[in-house]
Amino acid sequence: MTADLRHAVRLAGMDLRLLGRNQTALVTVLLLPLLMSWLFSWTGGDTATVAGVPGALFMLTGMPGLMLCFAVFINLVNVYTARREELVLKRLRTGQASPAGILGGTALGGLVLYMAQIALLVAWIMRAEDGPAPANVPLLLLAAVLGTAVFALLAMAFSGITASAELAQVTVLPVLLVTMVAGPYFAPLSAMPEPLRQIAQAVPATPVVEIFRTAYLGADFVGDAGGPLSTGEQWLAALPSLGILLAWTVLAGLAARWLFRWDPRRG
Amino acid sequence: MNGLRQRYGDFEAVRGISFTVGEGELFALLGTNGAGKTTTMEVLEGLRAAGDGEVRVLGLDPHRQRRRLRPKVGIMSQEGGFLGDLTVAETVAVWRGMAADVGRPSADGLLELVGLTGKARTRVRQLSGGQKRRLDLALAVLSRPELLFLDEPTTGMDPEARRDTWNTIQRLRGEGSTVVLTTHYLEEAERLADRLAIMHEGTIHVAGTVDDVVSGAGDQIAFRLALGPQELRERPGEGLPFLAGQAPTVTYAGGTTGVTYTLTGPEPAERAHAALRPLMAWAHAQDLTLQRLEVRRGTLEDVFLGVVGEGR
Repeated sequence: MTADLRHAVRLAGMDLRLLGRNQTALVTVLLLPLLMSWLFSWTGGDTATVAGVPGALFMLTGMPGLMLCFAVFINLVNVYTARREELVLKRLRTGQASPAGILGGTALGGLVLYMAQIALLVAWIMRAEDGPAPANVPLLLLAAVLGTAVFALLAMAFSGITASAELAQVTVLPVLLVTMVAGPYFAPLSAMPEPLRQIAQAVPATPVVEIFRTAYLGADFVGDAGGPLSTGEQWLAALPSLGILLAWTVLAGLAARWLFRWDPRRG
Repeated sequence: MNGLRQRYGDFEAVRGISFTVGEGELFALLGTNGAGKTTTMEVLEGLRAAGDGEVRVLGLDPHRQRRRLRPKVGIMSQEGGFLGDLTVAETVAVWRGMAADVGRPSADGLLELVGLTGKARTRVRQLSGGQKRRLDLALAVLSRPELLFLDEPTTGMDPEARRDTWNTIQRLRGEGSTVVLTTHYLEEAERLADRLAIMHEGTIHVAGTVDDVVSGAGDQIAFRLALGPQELRERPGEGLPFLAGQAPTVTYAGGTTGVTYTLTGPEPAERAHAALRPLMAWAHAQDLTLQRLEVRRGTLEDVFLGVVGEGR
């Protein structure tokens, strides 16, 4: 187990170094979500308050949901697919790393990227928007880790049905669209129109956003447009969302197990 | 390995093969493209579960117990799979680190060993095919494995690099590694292998030590006579003799007669010598000269072509 972890850390380091050498990927993974956050906060800035929170602040604390899509999901579908087709996965498997170490290493690289974006977001909220510091950092980190786990496993599953790195642009679209449309970015779930609310409730980005926002603002945003909560109450309020994330982890894990492939598709 | 069968959909790539490789031995799996060599290797390496039959590597099930087996095994697979944006030195460093993570110290001077010292700072994507193969070999032998799998190790190399690679493989064997390699270069198998098996269309047709296999091909005695068929037949006395019970194969071209004997008798070391005596006596009695007389041992190529020919 420890060898797996060390392998994963080593491979994650290699991944990040490689990402630094690949400008196209850098733009998609890093710049695009930040640009979108900026656009969102800019258009939303006019709204005076959402659920008792300044509009821009409400929206920015929802951005980790979208970032998860770019830094983790799209990034990893691309990497897993390209590496499978270029036989990199196969080669790594002939070496000393176990399957868990190989796939986990790439996922870990995604987590590091995602964390870096969150750090940037926090700095932005505090400086540009005069926002507060995060109220509950451990809870916030837990949301990031669980969210990464779900989307990394989904990425493994989706790479299995993606024939080439070029096609990855297409296969990620459904997840990207659902995540972008059905999520509590502009308004809490309770304020969303009925069919959309039900979809939003089920998608995995929603619990991440809700936990993140609750943890950041120290108020109940799990489903609700809520009042202030103590630290203990924040954990309690996050429980249902954590449950949904765990369920998604299991589901995505099963899908990954079923769909992921090491060898290229031929013919 | 006992009775391995492996199918892809309704194509059976490996159709019941069995062999054993002893410790410290170099075993070569020889065959045409598509003979099932790579599939067999992937099962041995544990990358593929055995479809049917029993496989043991260092006493372990290579697929289920791969975690325990991995540190002891070095694998050089057939194609690509490098990260093109890493340099040669970085690639080796990552591999070295991964070996260290499982407690395998790695050998020094790897790049010298495979002749890539000058390429350390080159991005892998800029290497030639042969250079990539050499990097491949460096990675496979990095942790001084007890067992080394080499899938077509010298494909794409120039003759000099091929010779270097052979030397490297022989050196590793000298250090006690067991080696299983596939190749379609007969010379490679003949030069390196203690034992070999010739695979064709999913089955092993011939197996044994190089000497055993080659002696099965028989020795060849060939010569020409400056006579046409008509003249040969009209001469008094006996026609071409049988040698060690074998009839000659006779071909005619441009007024001369080509004669070939293939000797597959029981005494491979002596049979050619024994056959020459009656042949020379016959030539003397007939007052004929055996032009361009040639005596040669059978080669691996003869055996190989025989195997491949059977299938047609």
